[in-house]
Amino acid sequence: MGRLFLFYRLMIRPLLKEPVRAALTIFAVTLGVAVVLAMDLAGNAATGSFRASMETLAGDNDLEIVASGGVPEAIVGSLATLPYYIRISPRMEDSAVLADSNQTLPLIGLDLVAEANADGGGRALVTSSDKTFETNEDTIRQLQKADSIWVGASLGKKLGDRVRLLINDQVREFTVRGVYPDSNGSESAVVMDLATAQRALNRFGSVDRILLNVPEPPALDEWEQRVRAILPTGVEVRAQGTGTIENRRMLAAFRWNLQLLSYIALIVGAFLIYNTISVSVVRRRPETGIVRALGASRNAVLVAFLGEAAFFGVTGALFGLPMGRLMASGAVKLMAATVESLYVSSRPGAIALSAWSVALAFVIGVGVAVVSAYSPAREASLVSPVEAMARGRREYKTRVHKSRDLLLALVLAIAAAGASRAPAMQGKPVFGYLAAILLVAASALAVPAFTDAILSQSSRWLGKVLGVEALLGSQSLSASLRRTSVLVGALSTAIAMMVSVGIMVGSFRETVLIWMNDRLPADLYLRPAGAPAPDRHPTVSLELADKISKLPGVAGIDRLRAYEISLDGMPATLASVDLSAFRRDNQSSFLSGRPTAQVLAEIRDSKAVLVSEPFTYKHHVRAGDSITFSLGAARPSFRIADIYYDYGSERGTILMDRQTMLRYLPDPTPSNLAIYLMPGTSLEAARNEILQASSGYRVLLASNRDLRAEAIRIFDRTFAITYALEAVAVIVAVMGVAGALLALVIDRRREIGLLRFLGASAGQVHKQILVEAGLLGLLANFAGLALGFALSLVLIFVINKQSFGWTIRFHWPVAVLLGAISVVYAATVLSGLYPAQVAVGLNPLEAVHEE
Amino acid sequence: MAIVSFEKVSKDYLTDGQRVHALDDITLEIERGEFVALMGRSGCGKSTLLNLAGAMDFPTSGNVVLDGVTTSALKDAGLTCLRREKVGFIFQSFQLLHTLTVFENVELPLLLAGKPKARDAARERLDWVELDGLGDRYPHQLSGGQMQRVGIARALVQSPAILLADEPTGNLDTITGNVILGLLKRLTRELNTATIMATHSAEAGALADAVVRLRDGKIEEIGRR
Amino acid sequence: MKSRLAVLGAALLFLQPLTAQYRTALPGYRFEFPRDYFDHPDFQTEWWYYTGNLKSSTGHRYGFELTFFRAAVSRDAVPSETWDVKDLYLTHLALSDLDGRHFYYKERVNRAGPGIAGVSASKGRVWNGNWQIQWQGTDQKLDAVEREFQLNLNLHPQKPPVVHGENGVSQKSGGAGQASYYISLTRLAASGELELNGEKLEVSGLAWMDHEFFTHQLDPDQIGWDWLSLQLDDNTELMLFRIRRKNGSVDPYSAGTYIDLQGKSTHLRAADFMLQPLTESWTSIDTRATYPIAWKIAIPKLEIELEVHTALAAQELVGKTKIAPSYWEGAIYLEGKRGKASLGGVGYLEMTGYDRPVRLSPQP
Repeated sequence: MGRLFLFYRLMIRPLLKEPVRAALTIFAVTLGVAVVLAMDLAGNAATGSFRASMETLAGDNDLEIVASGGVPEAIVGSLATLPYYIRISPRMEDSAVLADSNQTLPLIGLDLVAEANADGGGRALVTSSDKTFETNEDTIRQLQKADSIWVGASLGKKLGDRVRLLINDQVREFTVRGVYPDSNGSESAVVMDLATAQRALNRFGSVDRILLNVPEPPALDEWEQRVRAILPTGVEVRAQGTGTIENRRMLAAFRWNLQLLSYIALIVGAFLIYNTISVSVVRRRPETGIVRALGASRNAVLVAFLGEAAFFGVTGALFGLPMGRLMASGAVKLMAATVESLYVSSRPGAIALSAWSVALAFVIGVGVAVVSAYSPAREASLVSPVEAMARGRREYKTRVHKSRDLLLALVLAIAAAGASRAPAMQGKPVFGYLAAILLVAASALAVPAFTDAILSQSSRWLGKVLGVEALLGSQSLSASLRRTSVLVGALSTAIAMMVSVGIMVGSFRETVLIWMNDRLPADLYLRPAGAPAPDRHPTVSLELADKISKLPGVAGIDRLRAYEISLDGMPATLASVDLSAFRRDNQSSFLSGRPTAQVLAEIRDSKAVLVSEPFTYKHHVRAGDSITFSLGAARPSFRIADIYYDYGSERGTILMDRQTMLRYLPDPTPSNLAIYLMPGTSLEAARNEILQASSGYRVLLASNRDLRAEAIRIFDRTFAITYALEAVAVIVAVMGVAGALLALVIDRRREIGLLRFLGASAGQVHKQILVEAGLLGLLANFAGLALGFALSLVLIFVINKQSFGWTIRFHWPVAVLLGAISVVYAATVLSGLYPAQVAVGLNPLEAVHEE
Repeated sequence: MAIVSFEKVSKDYLTDGQRVHALDDITLEIERGEFVALMGRSGCGKSTLLNLAGAMDFPTSGNVVLDGVTTSALKDAGLTCLRREKVGFIFQSFQLLHTLTVFENVELPLLLAGKPKARDAARERLDWVELDGLGDRYPHQLSGGQMQRVGIARALVQSPAILLADEPTGNLDTITGNVILGLLKRLTRELNTATIMATHSAEAGALADAVVRLRDGKIEEIGRR
Repeated sequence: MKSRLAVLGAALLFLQPLTAQYRTALPGYRFEFPRDYFDHPDFQTEWWYYTGNLKSSTGHRYGFELTFFRAAVSRDAVPSETWDVKDLYLTHLALSDLDGRHFYYKERVNRAGPGIAGVSASKGRVWNGNWQIQWQGTDQKLDAVEREFQLNLNLHPQKPPVVHGENGVSQKSGGAGQASYYISLTRLAASGELELNGEKLEVSGLAWMDHEFFTHQLDPDQIGWDWLSLQLDDNTELMLFRIRRKNGSVDPYSAGTYIDLQGKSTHLRAADFMLQPLTESWTSIDTRATYPIAWKIAIPKLEIELEVHTALAAQELVGKTKIAPSYWEGAIYLEGKRGKASLGGVGYLEMTGYDRPVRLSPQP
């Protein structure tokens, strides 16, 4: 009891007397906790618990049968007549766009006759929300009408409504024959009978997936074997939802990286907590001495200071929880956009604030606070009572450690260099991040020496140029070197993060721009209208392709076709190009550096394929290796002839000759067309001609330039989340600077008071504090730029390479960096305004006579 | 005419909601070249009187007139100017800035006032306090007596008409303290300043031209020699 | 004539208004076997109907019913694709555990699709998923898999096929074409295996097959019927049905067939036999319908007098998909005499239109 009282008097009461500073510290913890929590929650929703949109109305089944390019529908008949009590649901799974609102929806084709056989009779389609969709005599009657669709209630359609749907490259009108209850907008889909769906998609002879419901016993493995026995080689039976799991696996690295990025905000927060606690330790050294002289043990002092830190941690976590939840809703949108453009069309799950998230918030908040406070708290407990009462002496001792720290920094930097050479662990760039952390630590250790060197070299010069206030400011910063170093460390870490991510994204962007120059050799590109997604491949009508190829200005077209396939437990894209088609000599670059013509000749109509660079990292293959995957009803092997750079998708792509693909998947419909014009043909004229030829079809015709602009737009959208994270880290750091400057002012009130005695005006005091803020910002920017550059190398050449497999060329995004740094700098200086105000308001009489 | 005059000056403070009479109806005039000791117990109002004389604070009632200027007529900026030109402060614990050299410490008031040739003035003042040659040292390299000499040099750097010293020997041993007192007295004569020194020490009082005894904010007696 | 008509009729009538695109059953049809055991897509409705009384080696009695309906839905789609619904295949599977006093009933509906259901003369097969009949020579193998039970039987005909009615048509109401083509295998020796709730049983007994196809046959005043197939211990069989009219009278088109020891059949007109419910009845919890489950039969010209009883009152098939109406169809046993000699036997009884009138004629 007595101890608690003491704690209150010595720790809490001083805090309450300086509410602004306490609030700033708590805010730093809050922000750190909130960011980590938000990223955790949003990551869970966007990548962890998301359901592939094709799981709509899939219900709870045991097994699924899939095949690249579709499951031959005869298998449905074979399964139906097996002498087992099993339930079979064949499905067409594609997408349709509501022509009026441009909303993309899953298009699900079901055997609406057989669905009536579900147990319970007529309660056929159980959605994930446990809502049902009844098939009855009415359903069957409507099957006779080829325009019948059923839609989720959340779309707000009524029975008999006419709905225009864009499917592949055509818009057709359908009639709503029924509405099924869906839990929320995320479950909406367009449901058709299989016959209608096949007609609408113009895909006959196969279905996309067959779901199986089997009884137990025997075990699921046994069922898999029984079913596999009747399947052709290329057709696969697996647990239902494997696709979702595969997608989650694919997203794991992406999520992991985001998560780690969010911890940088926390590290910055830790710096600030460390700073706050050290300030309070130094400031309360006399009290500490008195308490010690009055009989408090070392442990009591240690516990008291750690208690204060824990108080910051708990309070920060309490505020951080709701804030993190709030930020998560924003973050999940950004993340979902990235997932959607890089990986898979998906719908984020709901954000769930679980007990685990709450625990995480508290562990992080309290943990970081206590850990960062430990060293200053221990220092406080070690001072002898007599020494403690003599103010300020210990501050000088830090000077002694400068060179030792510098040496340690060097060691850490070397260790970082070593770690950056280590390979990935289970696809995760663990050592890359270790290298980054080591670099941050090295920089933190080097900052005191750096700060001291700069300040002592520049303060006299500054005094001459900017006046005596600058001299005093820089002197006072260098006097409290440790505190200054912590501030510079925190701010520079935040800046380094911004700079490194900025350099990485800038380099990536530049690389993509260069790549697109090589990769997009045709003049015009045509694809079905509707939002593009890396795992959706709507098709262009064959007749349209033929019509375009015969237009007078067109030299030739390349029919590209893509499918989704599953390979080694991960999704991938299988694409084909028309190697016999007209082809302008392009610069497509390969990892081997061989000329394009030579590489393409190798895969022409042969059992050789090309794979994209991310593919090699996802599937651990190299040029010359052989890959085997299901293709139609077969399971052929292909040799990897070469690897090409691909920044368009992170999924990994296999590229083969159109002729080779047609042998396994005979559907000749292309997914998109690359159109080459005759030399001398005007782009505008050709575009008009093609558009005229495509009247009646809904296609998008993009010029080379349009496509590049679109790609860059998607690229920027993809990285929005990283920018958001950076912004938060910088805000945390700038807030920290404000708080720390305030602490500095309060701590130095004697000196400020003295200056007033010596004739300093209010303006001069004000200016001095602003100069200090400016100096801090400047030092942090220098250190941050240097650290950021080093980190960007790790990001680009280690972390990115190991988790995504992209080769990125280094590029300084000068304008972006300058802009960002200027903003941070301005923010830092502005953050000095309030502390400066406080300094001016101090009563010099009290300040000087305080002792 | 007196360089410092207190006309019926009272000063009240509010401490924890209670009114405290720090000074009560003080009338006092001090001429140039006069070395005045201010004596009394702790809390009798010595420091308050010094602060009022140094234009650091306003009286609650009455007027403090420094070289013909009434402080209560000025705003903060005016007070700063007045302070710069007329007043030099000397502190018990020297109040040197440890990060600055001796030169820089002494120059500081001139620099803050934006005056030129600060270094020359500083060198001359250090000469006066017999510290020539130590200008590039840092305060922690000096002895206590030397530090107070720096403090005195700094107080003199603007050639103030009024020198205010708050227990200048409080942190020094007796011998060193006596030397500093002697220095102060000599400089008061040579520079023709009015020096007001708050002190507990009887020896210091013995050196002064006049001794003002304060008790509970009132003048108990003024003894002139 | 059977109640399955009602079942099917209901499904059909709303699915597709009758059009001239289907043939109707007119006198003079030349039956050809085995071709006529299979499908007749020119007719709108067709069914294959298997019922039987079985006994396990331990003496337990069972009844079974497996009925395949084919209802033509559309003949329009040109070109037609695999999943187009040209016919709807509706199948009922029932097992009566007569001694265990439990009735199992399942319904299944499918389109032909890629081999999910259908009838194939070339493969000798009638199937709906894994409920199927496979012809092997003149024998038929019946296989049906359900959650609780699995039935695998061999059906061996002991008499040639019977063509019911006069001049090859079974007239159901006044007017040309208001009739069906109706053939039966009236005495099939059934033997095989029944797996019920995990227990495998050797079973044997007598089964009956009906096959009927037509396009339309009843008129709106006909609201239901009672039908019986009887396999008598003296190796003769009887098929009898009476059609009930709205006004409560028995329709004059009610009829029957008598098959003698050699398999020769005799058509019975309504006036030739008496078919009357006794007082015993059973009321369904599901449909609230009350079925007379005991009957009295008298055929003076054959000197036959019989009483029909059942060992299990609850043998109602409740339509679960809302496509088929509900009806009672169950195993029965016979007690009575022919002349002076006592005569027993087994059979199946079907009763329709007790829950609501069966829609028997096309809607205008």
